Amino acid sequence: MNATSTLAPGLPDAVHDSQQAFRAALDALARPGQVRHIGPALSGVALGGALARLLLSLCDDETPVWWPAATAADLPQWLRFHTGAPVAQRPDAASFAVLTDLAQLPTLTDFAPGSAASPEMSGTLLIELPALAGGPGLEWRGPGIAQVQRVGLPGLPEGFWAQWQANHAAFPQGVDILFTCGDAALGLPRTTRVRRLEGL
Amino acid sequence: MNRPGTSAAYLDIRMTNKPSSEHASSDPAARQAWLAVLARASLAQLQAQAPAADTLPPVQQVRPPEIGMVMLRGRVGGAGNPFNLGEASVVRCAVRLGQGPLGVAYALGRDKRRAELAALFDALLQDPQHHDTLQRELIAPLAQSQAQARAQTQHAVASSKVEFFTFVRGEA
Repeated sequence: MNATSTLAPGLPDAVHDSQQAFRAALDALARPGQVRHIGPALSGVALGGALARLLLSLCDDETPVWWPAATAADLPQWLRFHTGAPVAQRPDAASFAVLTDLAQLPTLTDFAPGSAASPEMSGTLLIELPALAGGPGLEWRGPGIAQVQRVGLPGLPEGFWAQWQANHAAFPQGVDILFTCGDAALGLPRTTRVRRLEGL
Repeated sequence: MNRPGTSAAYLDIRMTNKPSSEHASSDPAARQAWLAVLARASLAQLQAQAPAADTLPPVQQVRPPEIGMVMLRGRVGGAGNPFNLGEASVVRCAVRLGQGPLGVAYALGRDKRRAELAALFDALLQDPQHHDTLQRELIAPLAQSQAQARAQTQHAVASSKVEFFTFVRGEA
């Protein structure tokens, strides 16, 4: 049995669903830390609804996607069938990275930070979390945040926020992150300053 | 982003890599042949053979019919340097019958139903249960009439063929 026999459908309404997901991603990155609803899970796709919909909306044949080594072959094939997105062999060659296993999270410097001349050539990380609230307390400040945004993201490995500090300091270079959980997503652009409230 | 209807769509029909058995219904070359016939068939020809919906397992549209464009390329003199001739609209579709094989179709034009039916027939043709009947009753007659039409056109234009000669001048 070949993999095409398990190929899942894409977005139910390709035009409107991808426009909605794109708008929500734009909003999430413009208002860091605010949760945005993307959409319900897609049948036959072993990814959260937000993650699957963002991939289908953002990827095309010019955006290599990096998948963790443990990913089943049908997911990259599904994305390639619907969007043409190739598989990136190395994290720093990827425009988007799908990170679902928090225990095996690569470091942020593994991904392309873009160059000073074209910082938009950086990678965007899509990280699936067990929840978008209830983790160790964080205070986010920066563009898109009026005063301060309280965020608590559970499940991230130790040292992640130290890596983020370096990522933020490298502005205008650096990666952007969209945290997803089920149907919802939350943005963390490279411009956001993060302060930990506890447990340094 | 996948934008049906704008820019040039990429044509990436990938044939299923390896035939899982010796059966003709899973041979890539045979599949290419019937896909070519289906791509050239008219809607009326396909509709005439369309099986009744209640005799089929549920049809899942893995990729609903969508219209895009492909760049047509030509070669100078038929064998020279490639050039872009122009863009053509194309409609493509992928369906699956129940848990069976995936049927795909690409067809020139904007007729979604035509691509849908062609994809359905591709899925059925990969199914050993329907392969022989369809091959005999749909593909073979269509292939024959398409070959005839092609031969007729070739015959009709052959009389207008012009041969160019360059004569070498005597003093050279």
